[in-house]
Amino acid sequence: MSRVPHGGTRPPPLETSGDFFDGETAFARPVNLRIDTDRRLLTGDGIDWPVDDIREVMDQAGGDLIVLRLKGDPVARLILRHGDIRPRLPNRRRSAPLVRRGRLFGWALAAVTSVALILFVLVPLMADQLAEYIPPSGEKALGEVTLTQIREALDDTGLSPVSFCTAPKGEQALRKIEARLTAQMATPVDLSVHVLNHEMVNAFALPGGQIVLFRGLIDEATTPEELAAVFAHEIGHVISRDPTRHALRSAGSIGVLGLIFGDFAGGAVVLLLAEQLIEAQYSQGAEGAADVFAHDLMIRAGLSPAALAVMFERFRALGGDAEGFIGHFLSHPGLGDRIAAARDAVPAGFRPRPLLAADEWRALQDICSDGTLY
Amino acid sequence: MSTTQDSMDIRYTGEKGPLFNLAFKTGLLTVVTLGIYRFWQKTRIRKYIWSSVDAGGDTFEYTGTGIEKLLGFLIAVVFLAIYIGIIQMVLFYAGLSVMVDPQRASPQEMIAQTIALYITFFAVLPFILYAVYRARRYKMARTRWRGIRFGMEKGAWGFVWRAMGYGFLAVITLGILTPLQTFRLEKYQADRSYYGSARFTQTGKWTELYPAMKHMLIGIGILVLSFALIGGGAVSENVGLIGFGGFAAFVGYVWVIIGGIHYGVQSFAYLTANKVLGDDIHFTAAPRTGFVIKTYIVGGLLVGLLASVAFGIVGTIAAAFIPLLQNGGGMIAFGIVMAVGYVVALVLTQALSLILITQPILAHYIEKLEIVNADGLNRIAQREAETGVDAEGFADALDIGGAI
Repeated sequence: MSRVPHGGTRPPPLETSGDFFDGETAFARPVNLRIDTDRRLLTGDGIDWPVDDIREVMDQAGGDLIVLRLKGDPVARLILRHGDIRPRLPNRRRSAPLVRRGRLFGWALAAVTSVALILFVLVPLMADQLAEYIPPSGEKALGEVTLTQIREALDDTGLSPVSFCTAPKGEQALRKIEARLTAQMATPVDLSVHVLNHEMVNAFALPGGQIVLFRGLIDEATTPEELAAVFAHEIGHVISRDPTRHALRSAGSIGVLGLIFGDFAGGAVVLLLAEQLIEAQYSQGAEGAADVFAHDLMIRAGLSPAALAVMFERFRALGGDAEGFIGHFLSHPGLGDRIAAARDAVPAGFRPRPLLAADEWRALQDICSDGTLY
Repeated sequence: MSTTQDSMDIRYTGEKGPLFNLAFKTGLLTVVTLGIYRFWQKTRIRKYIWSSVDAGGDTFEYTGTGIEKLLGFLIAVVFLAIYIGIIQMVLFYAGLSVMVDPQRASPQEMIAQTIALYITFFAVLPFILYAVYRARRYKMARTRWRGIRFGMEKGAWGFVWRAMGYGFLAVITLGILTPLQTFRLEKYQADRSYYGSARFTQTGKWTELYPAMKHMLIGIGILVLSFALIGGGAVSENVGLIGFGGFAAFVGYVWVIIGGIHYGVQSFAYLTANKVLGDDIHFTAAPRTGFVIKTYIVGGLLVGLLASVAFGIVGTIAAAFIPLLQNGGGMIAFGIVMAVGYVVALVLTQALSLILITQPILAHYIEKLEIVNADGLNRIAQREAETGVDAEGFADALDIGGAI
């Protein structure tokens, strides 16, 4: 609204009436009021309110009543029945100052700090601890639930989750690769390996020793050794329990963030963003460690670690078409280093032994053509 | 406005238009701020509703602030995140997991999951009840009429134990002792409530709530009878008897629901009519169950109708973008239009249900309320301000407390 014009024409005197509550008793005292333009005061019987310090209480129902308060007084109220005083109160729309501001900001700071500590320190710490001690059955259940969710999320038809590829001959070939790799491992792990019937060039590990390869990855690989290299990399994640830690971390963070942002319309978007953020943190040091594990395992199994480099180069060649996990690889500046590391890991004079016969590799490439649903 | 020398009518002057505008506008702000504005939204809607309550020419004032709600909420989140985290960890060690794949789990795993869910619920239950008391206390402390504060004493933990005890009694007696629970818990809260220097007292007897429970008991009776009929029909292989039993079960079910609403309305009326403020200020309350049920049905239908129109418009607009889906830009535009339209329609629906269901029912309760012996109000003096920092944070964090 308008401000009181200074200098020049003096605003006309204003008289009004209303009820005054002094904040001490519940008694409504009728008062006659006028604005003293010289002293800039709203005066009445027992009232001397500076017009610059008067605030209007907003969001009131029934536009016929005006409720006024004084900046520093939390209880006294003036109830007026005419709006003609409004233009004469220059600061009526400004908010009244918070009482005990320092204490309030102290608490606010403490609360925000605590939430940040929980999100970035406590949740990761608890997740890491829990990943060490989680019973195998709990880890397995966690992996199964996550796998079902991923299969449902990947489905475009909205009818049923993405199916597993289970052509018997292809499965046999897959088991052969698995056996070749796991035979060389110091500590046996309980793996369950699936091929998902989806065109994405991707592979991931889930809690409880679940390893998932996508059809798109098998299509893209030209030798079984390349597939085995990615397989070995994922086993590396399983051994270091990265997926379990990751799942527990995101569950914890999403739980806390869900509490904070509440159940409102845009909630899902925020959670999605948060998940992306957490996802990005997963792959830094853990990927390098899984690579080193894969190099070692490949060599021991009589396979060349250079196959991993070949696979990485294929990912890079895919460029913008790559998605998800692979897409993250690409955004990672260290991909070139990782390719070099895989090539360097090949010992001098290393002679790899063949992995699959030609017909076995063909069967593995056709693992999804059987059409049987899981 | 005084009707007689010493009785004071209470009016509700809130209107649909301004409240709708306020709720819609603040709803959009809430979405834009990723939910953070919801504390200010709630504050502003309460300010409007409180100021609509006009007793003897003076309106109520709500003096809560958004910042204190946000702060209280953050404090509660910190506490609950740690507390629930610890509970989950203990359950993990015990081998009980909340996460089970329902399609592939064994019966033992399903049972373990059920137990884990119950343990989690009962671990959180005390805080839900704590939040109920704290939220009421916060609202009282932030309500003012004639410049005088309402208030409520501390006592949330006392409320928690009583609520759990009476709740347990009500459950094991199949609801027969519900009036005892309703009365004692309301008395616990009312007896700790003040208006300025004057204290509220809850008088009356819990057994006098049974008439209000009449229809609930009739509904339960019909349900029991219908199960007997279905059982009898199954034994004697009489299809007609089973069909009649099924119909009776449906009638009983509807009767229980309506009886429940009736109990809610009439127990409020009884408890209010038996409250005393100070020495001699009384109240009369005569809300009608029929009006409340009618508002639920008519308002619910209207909200449903208008919401489906709103979502239909969003769908039509989105459909116009389908030809553009061939390129990437079109895809993004389509996604944005869908998301924005969906959110706007959702906010619209919330605002509609506020003005078509919540406000009319509230207005009815208030219009049917009257203060007897209102002269005594003039002798009431101010009370000290409350300084709790957690506001109603636990209620916000645990998502209880409903529309306003």
